[in-house]
Amino acid sequence: MKFRKYFGLRFLTYLLTVWIGITFIFFIPRMFPSDPVENMIGQMQSRSGQMDPAQMDALRSQLRVQFGLEGSLIEQYFTFLWKGLLHFDFGPSLMSYPTPVGEIIGMYLPYTLFLSLTTTVIAWVIGNIIGLLAGFRKNKLSSKILEGVAICIYPVPYFIIALVLQIVFAFVLGWFPIQTTINTQGNFAVWFASLLKASILPALSMLLVGTGWWIISMKSLAGTTSEEDFVLFARYRGISEGKIGKNYVFRNSILTQVTALAMSLGGVFGGSIMTEIVFGYPGVGSLVQKAILMSDYNMILGCITISIVAISTATLIVDLIYPFIDPRIRYN
Amino acid sequence: MKKNVKKFWKNANISLKAGLIMTAIFVIIGFVIYFLPHTNPFTFNSYPSKLKPTSEHWLGTTSMGQDVIWLLIEAIHNSLLIGLIVATIGTVAGVFIGLLAGFSGGWVDRILTVVTDTFIVIPSLPILILMTSFMKGTSTVLVMALVLAMFAWAWPSRQIRSMALSMRERDFIHTAWFSGEGTVQVVITEILPYAFTWSLSNFMNATLAAIASESSLAVLGLSPGNLISLGNMIQWARERNAIFTKQWFWIGSPILATAVMFIGLFLLITGYNDYLSMKRGR
Amino acid sequence: MKKAMRSMLACVVALILVGTMFVGCSKPSATTETQTPEATKEASKETADGGETAAPTGEMTEVGTPRNETLIVECQSPTDTPGQFNSYMQGTTMGFGIHQLMSAMMWEIDTVKGEQFGEVADGMPVSNADFTEHTIKIRQGIKWSDGEALTADDVVFTFNMIMTNTGINQNAYYNQIFQSVEKVDDYTVKIVTKESFPRLAQRFGVTIWGNDLRIVPEHIYSKQADVTQFKDTEPVVAGPYTVKAYDELGKWILYERREDWQASTVGVVTGKQPQAKYVWFRNLGDDTSRQMSLINNEVDILCEVTPEMLEVMTAQNPNIACWYKDFPYATSDDPCSKGIAFSMGKGAPFDNKDFRWGVALAMNFDEISQNIFDGVGRSSPFPILTNTSAAQELYVKPILPWLEAFELDLGDGTTVKPFDSGYAERIAQVLRDKGYDISTDHETLIDMFGAGCWKYDPAAAEKLFIKAGLEKKADGWYFNGQPFTFNMSYLADTEAQAGRGTQAAYDQLTKFGFKINLVSESSATWSTNDVTGQYDIGGYWPTGFITKDIYSQINGWDGDLIVPVGERGSGQGTRWNNAKATDIIHQLAVLSPDDPKSYDLGLEFFKNAIEELPFIGFHSGVKFVPTNSTYWNNYPSADNPYNGPWWWWSCFKYITTEISPVK
Repeated sequence: MKFRKYFGLRFLTYLLTVWIGITFIFFIPRMFPSDPVENMIGQMQSRSGQMDPAQMDALRSQLRVQFGLEGSLIEQYFTFLWKGLLHFDFGPSLMSYPTPVGEIIGMYLPYTLFLSLTTTVIAWVIGNIIGLLAGFRKNKLSSKILEGVAICIYPVPYFIIALVLQIVFAFVLGWFPIQTTINTQGNFAVWFASLLKASILPALSMLLVGTGWWIISMKSLAGTTSEEDFVLFARYRGISEGKIGKNYVFRNSILTQVTALAMSLGGVFGGSIMTEIVFGYPGVGSLVQKAILMSDYNMILGCITISIVAISTATLIVDLIYPFIDPRIRYN
Repeated sequence: MKKNVKKFWKNANISLKAGLIMTAIFVIIGFVIYFLPHTNPFTFNSYPSKLKPTSEHWLGTTSMGQDVIWLLIEAIHNSLLIGLIVATIGTVAGVFIGLLAGFSGGWVDRILTVVTDTFIVIPSLPILILMTSFMKGTSTVLVMALVLAMFAWAWPSRQIRSMALSMRERDFIHTAWFSGEGTVQVVITEILPYAFTWSLSNFMNATLAAIASESSLAVLGLSPGNLISLGNMIQWARERNAIFTKQWFWIGSPILATAVMFIGLFLLITGYNDYLSMKRGR
Repeated sequence: MKKAMRSMLACVVALILVGTMFVGCSKPSATTETQTPEATKEASKETADGGETAAPTGEMTEVGTPRNETLIVECQSPTDTPGQFNSYMQGTTMGFGIHQLMSAMMWEIDTVKGEQFGEVADGMPVSNADFTEHTIKIRQGIKWSDGEALTADDVVFTFNMIMTNTGINQNAYYNQIFQSVEKVDDYTVKIVTKESFPRLAQRFGVTIWGNDLRIVPEHIYSKQADVTQFKDTEPVVAGPYTVKAYDELGKWILYERREDWQASTVGVVTGKQPQAKYVWFRNLGDDTSRQMSLINNEVDILCEVTPEMLEVMTAQNPNIACWYKDFPYATSDDPCSKGIAFSMGKGAPFDNKDFRWGVALAMNFDEISQNIFDGVGRSSPFPILTNTSAAQELYVKPILPWLEAFELDLGDGTTVKPFDSGYAERIAQVLRDKGYDISTDHETLIDMFGAGCWKYDPAAAEKLFIKAGLEKKADGWYFNGQPFTFNMSYLADTEAQAGRGTQAAYDQLTKFGFKINLVSESSATWSTNDVTGQYDIGGYWPTGFITKDIYSQINGWDGDLIVPVGERGSGQGTRWNNAKATDIIHQLAVLSPDDPKSYDLGLEFFKNAIEELPFIGFHSGVKFVPTNSTYWNNYPSADNPYNGPWWWWSCFKYITTEISPVK
């Protein structure tokens, strides 16, 4: 009974969150003084020199009709709520008109998931193991070295790490391609080989930074937990350090990290803009960035909605299973 | 007073000492040396361009004839300022809202949770790109910091809330409650110290995250064009191809500064925690 | 056991982390030494051995074609519409090799002479006396890539398709211009325009970059229900190449030469064979990746780089060269000069010519020039017209006496002559002092650095600002009793020449004493702010010059097209409202470009624009366009200028017949 009430309320919160977030994303870009039609004309002009004034006028009104930017903001909003939110149809992309947004995202999403999902999970596992060891056995030399390395890499700006990897491994050593080129000719093996080869450096750069953060946060959690009374008490009782680490410190500090992992997994759908830009990796992150620069409202909405839904769902799941892994919390 | 400082220094561990010194150096660079009279470091052609380090220009000059060391000092000042404002707003607001939600429960909790969650689920970098391209880069240090702070409070708030939820079921809280302490008092005396460690590391991380976000925006060309920040400095150097023309001091110094600044903060905080636990243990 | 595994894992990770850090730290020495990859080493050895030895054979590109048969060309941005080759569908990225290799143009341009010639058309159009009826002959012998002959039917069909499909961008405009387009016989087309239209070939043939009239095969397009929704994924073309494969994500397109290239447009026009079997257009990402790719021979032609990049690339790979082998490396003949534009629709003081002249005289161009491209580039201080070498001969030199005598009234009874013809000699000396070998021949210097710039005269500038209504107080400048500040904006991250010019101008004006906000804009707002006039002073480039007849260059400056700030008009975003200029544009509209009066009116327009200075130019378009001759050579260059280095223009198809494999 209690659970059902808790679940109902939590689910309502979830829906509200998604709705507010998406409404936010709908209105913000449209309030800005940037216009997909002007951007498109600007791009045509910058490539082809000046356009005849009469032609520009004609083109402008034509594009406005085609892009569905004629109605009032409220009308557009309700159309969007009906189509986008309920049917996941975001309409045509404006920069790739008339290809539907969904189709384009569908093309990029697998690449993003392939890269980010793997790296996020690996980074989480490695980071937490190292962090736990470092936090639990603070005074060991190995813990100190590991932690030292982590805190030296973590603060270096993200794209600098990517850049260094690119210069060293792709340019100087020539082991990997400088830019992602995916060979779409031939069979699956050819395609996958070229994808794998192109993904290693982006993955490595994301791993390095990701691991660093997990080490640092886990270490601090483990450090705090291992000073709690129940740990000290366990020590007095003569329980072995290994068992204390596993049963007391690990179990207690991993809870926070599980929440964090769920959120990061949700965040995977948003892509990783900087890595994608440096390596030219096809992903949702750079897709959003391009959409923003081209004021492709539909594309911005599509990408960010997916990301919002993913993260909210992840938090929802965490909140629902949290009471099962942490018995101290009850549903209320 | 003096005695206390001496005693503190005697008891402090190496991490704490090193962290203190490193952080102090940056604070001095950013908020003391910065105010020494000097020419506007942004001005082009102040000096001959592309000089190697000399006694006059410790880190050489840029391709535009700017003195790298003063550029760096001003960048540290501005980035530190942005980082600190964002981290302060984010941590204070986050802890306050998190505790409020966690302990008040009921409708207050639900509303706060919805708001917090909304800010968590909206991916921040795209929105920052949107906001900054809207502001056309006209923003100042303060505006930039406020925009970044918009997203800095939600995550700590959520973490603190779940921490509070887990804690209010614990025995020592119940004991306190039964002994007649009010919620506010319980929060202040029992919870805050506990959340303090976490908040400190969150503060450090928020500072760094803010500086890193600013850098990302700068690399995308969205930081204000004449704001001298660590990110913009890296970006200007990159635009003039400093990596391949081997102008290491120009491109390297802001990167190194970011890293050292972080390590200093990190050592300070871990050292302080160790110091506290040592004191408690005694 | 588990513990042991954990420790092991931890150690491995630690090793990786430490290793990466070390490699990262040793990066400086790594790049300075000759540690460039194998291919480069081989290549440099070969050139050192003297002469052109064979390019490395047996290598394959990443798309599975033999490297020595593939010409790799960079495209600066990925396409948003992969697999879409119909030029009449929304958003097709023509610059991704589509119009360079496949499109059929009515008239093409000889970029060296600045003259048009017929591609699909056989010669220039013949018009009646009042320019309403035009007869066009179609070239015989051109075949589509499926073997069908290209005839007048295809041309007529293309025009009518545009005029009947409202979904095509040019639809409304074509309906304004054309009364009818009819076939006379298989190789003759008659066009009737609604009004007198003396510039048919200029408007519907290529002058700059390309043109949006591209002839399509009637036998394919007439079968489509809706041509605006027809992707044309396997295009049938008249150009010398067809699509072999493309990337679904828009990063590359691979083209293959037609078996029957003799029957393609290029084959029929020149009789020469495009030499590369494959042309691979690819996007290479940011500047770092672009230069690394060229150094590693992973690309043969880059679009445009900065001098800093060129310096690094030529130092690391001796096969990389630019338009000139030595200084100044770049060509200054791109028809778009960069400088600063004023949003005159915003009112005072920006709409006051004294203010604009004040800005011009308050800036030291010698320093600006150093800050943009280290002094490289031909100065082009003039508004609207770009000082290309042709323009310098046709428009600048004839008015030079006038220009040198031209005076500005400073408002306090004194005058100043703003033109400074000493720039070329001065900058040459500065560069000589830096160790460059610069000619001493005056004419060469004038061609290299331009006829002159605006004088640096802060005292005169101050008087002009006061004349324009500004006040100078102890704490800076005031206007209408308020402290005077304004924004200067530039487009971030691309267009280095324009961005650096604005930054340098900001620096100059700050030194002069103004309080300015320097605004770096993303492309999200840049174009919109231009057309709505939402800026104060910006690094926009509403300039050009390609043919002697300047009508198509200046018709946007027609004062009648101006709309209030905030609205979107079709004229220039700067909103220069000048009666005399408008009058000249109206007169030119009905004159034939060949009429001598056109040229006189052009000169008149030019002088008037200089007096009013709606735009302050810095340099003409300076393009560093590097090529890599490891696998291919005989690129157009200053020593062999058979064409301009415009890989992104539709004339590239003619360049492909000259670029030869290294034997």
